Amino acid sequence: MSAVDIDLRLVRKVYHKGRMNITVLDGLDLSIEGGDFAVIMGPSGSGKSTLLHLVGGLDSPTSGSVRVGDAHLERMSERELTAWRSRHVGFIFQMYHLVPVLTAAQNVELPLLLFRMSSAERRKRVETALEIVGLKDRMDHRPNQLSGGQEQRVAIARAIVTDPDVIVADEPTGDLDAKTSTEILQLLSLLNSEFRKSIIMVTHDPRAAGFGKRLLHLDKGVLERDERHTHPVQPVAV
Amino acid sequence: MPLPLSYTWRNLLARRLSSGLTFLVVAVVVFVLSVLLSFAAGMQASLKAANSPVNIVVLKAGASAESTSIIWDDEVTPLAQTPGVATNESGGQLLSRELSVQAPVPRRTDLSRKANVPVRGVDDIAFGVHPEVRITEGRSFVQGQMEAIVGRAARGRFANLEIGDQIALGRQVNRLFRIVGVFEANGSALESEIWAPRTVLTDSYRRTFASSVHLRLSAPSAMPAALDYVNGPSVQLRGKREGEYYEDLNKKTREIVYLASILIGIMSVGAAFAVANTMYAAVDARRREIAMLRTIGFARRSVISIFMIESVLLTAIACAAGLTCAAYLGGMKQDYLSDKTWTVFAFELKMTPQILAICFAVATTVGVIGAVAPAGRAARTRILDALRKA
Ligand SMILES: Nc1ncnc2c1ncn2[C@@H]1O[C@H](COP(=O)(O)OP(=O)(O)OP(=O)(O)O)[C@@H](O)[C@H]1O
Ligand SMILES: [Mg+2]
Repeated sequence: MSAVDIDLRLVRKVYHKGRMNITVLDGLDLSIEGGDFAVIMGPSGSGKSTLLHLVGGLDSPTSGSVRVGDAHLERMSERELTAWRSRHVGFIFQMYHLVPVLTAAQNVELPLLLFRMSSAERRKRVETALEIVGLKDRMDHRPNQLSGGQEQRVAIARAIVTDPDVIVADEPTGDLDAKTSTEILQLLSLLNSEFRKSIIMVTHDPRAAGFGKRLLHLDKGVLERDERHTHPVQPVAV
Repeated sequence: MPLPLSYTWRNLLARRLSSGLTFLVVAVVVFVLSVLLSFAAGMQASLKAANSPVNIVVLKAGASAESTSIIWDDEVTPLAQTPGVATNESGGQLLSRELSVQAPVPRRTDLSRKANVPVRGVDDIAFGVHPEVRITEGRSFVQGQMEAIVGRAARGRFANLEIGDQIALGRQVNRLFRIVGVFEANGSALESEIWAPRTVLTDSYRRTFASSVHLRLSAPSAMPAALDYVNGPSVQLRGKREGEYYEDLNKKTREIVYLASILIGIMSVGAAFAVANTMYAAVDARRREIAMLRTIGFARRSVISIFMIESVLLTAIACAAGLTCAAYLGGMKQDYLSDKTWTVFAFELKMTPQILAICFAVATTVGVIGAVAPAGRAARTRILDALRKA
């Protein structure tokens, strides 16, 4: 699948808490080219996760438009968004959210269960995805038999197994030590350069930010800075 | 494509205690239900009533079945004066004193398990009182001899009841009766019995009384007067039309079935609550997992079906376990009941396909109903709230 553009126009997101209105994003404009690796940084509560959720179709803007490829997310119903997510987005979270009773391979297979696909085809895809993240030999391990870094790799395999257009990662290295973080970031970088996946990643770690091609600073719902790295950290094969 | 069965199964195992308790509750409900239904089915089969409009069954006042009735010889004497009693060719009154006892006989299906078969001691006059009883193979027994005849249904169900076989009847081990014939009785309950000479049987069982007296009248029109007399002051016993006797037994069965159904209904509601409780616990423990599944594209109805399948799998397995226990204990249950009123008949706990179907339907319904609310809660999980750090 070819990389798709992401385009946010005048996006407002307001939460209602009791009688209080919390404006998290206030008229945000943002374009991300297909194949980019955008890193979003900013203080806690600045709306980074909210922005990711809008791009990933997990939430809808209060006003404004969110376009990912041909899809106008703000016009889609909850049901349509659910179906859209299964085909177009891969999610990676700080907590890996693996199903504890399933093996690594079964966890990776989960998103494929929503497709019409033979079990042989699913198996092939699962193996490929696990191979990319370097865990082919751990296919039959359960999450509690894996280290945190390995769990996150399984989660990444799950995110890429459907071959999505966009990968959305919210503090993917937040729970990992420096060395493991580097490995995960190199993996994301590889997915971006080799497999042409558009990636949007939120992080608090300036070192992690160095792996992106573009760095965005969000503060109080407003894009403060937007820098392009001319020399992002080069991916190293893992 | 549903989630793999191992997902459902391991999730049930993951909450062993909660799932186990619910499993137990549902299994007990199914066990009781299946025993009740097979009991009813068995009774129905054996109560294909003898219903002669000219026959009266006389029991001790207060007894509802022959096996719990005790009639002393001097109590029988006034019955000879009953108006309208028919006579046979040789002028004998069609009045039959009968003794009802039981003997353990191995089943055909499982020789190691014995069930109590009703045994009836009768004089020759009984064949006049119960003209539907016909010898179809061999011959009838000779009074005073250690001989017996078996009903067709009894022979079909139990082992070692062929002509020429010997069967121990009574308290003494050496009391072996030889089987000399097979009889039919229009498919009525009598066909589930073994018949032997009354005096020999009385001796064998060391009984000094009879269980019942059967009278045959010359015409149905004689019935009211005969019943008036039997139930009047000169007789200390209680007489019923034969059909009424069986109806009363049937009615008791129906009453028991009815009361037990209410009990089972209440138990099923309890079971549904147990299921709901277990599934709520499952849903609450897996909020993040549900949110993750929704995130990667599982629809609300998929989430609902995850918990429905889990619940129904649990209740279906519990159902299988309950049925297995019922089938296993079926024999014991009957032997236990054999000393009670009900076992005048060689009825068995009959496990029919319908009963299996009903039990699975009830278990599944309990599983579905119990899971509705928890699955609904699961489907309403707010993805972003659930995904957020603890
Ligand atoms: N469902 C909600 N209801 C009300 N307020 C919310 C909700 N979700 C987020 N918020 C508020 O929106 C603001 C932005 O939240 P968001 O999670 O996007 O921040 P963030 O930049 O990701 O922060 P962090 O770095 O801590 O993850 C916060 O003030 C938060 O309290
Ligand atoms: Mg956040």
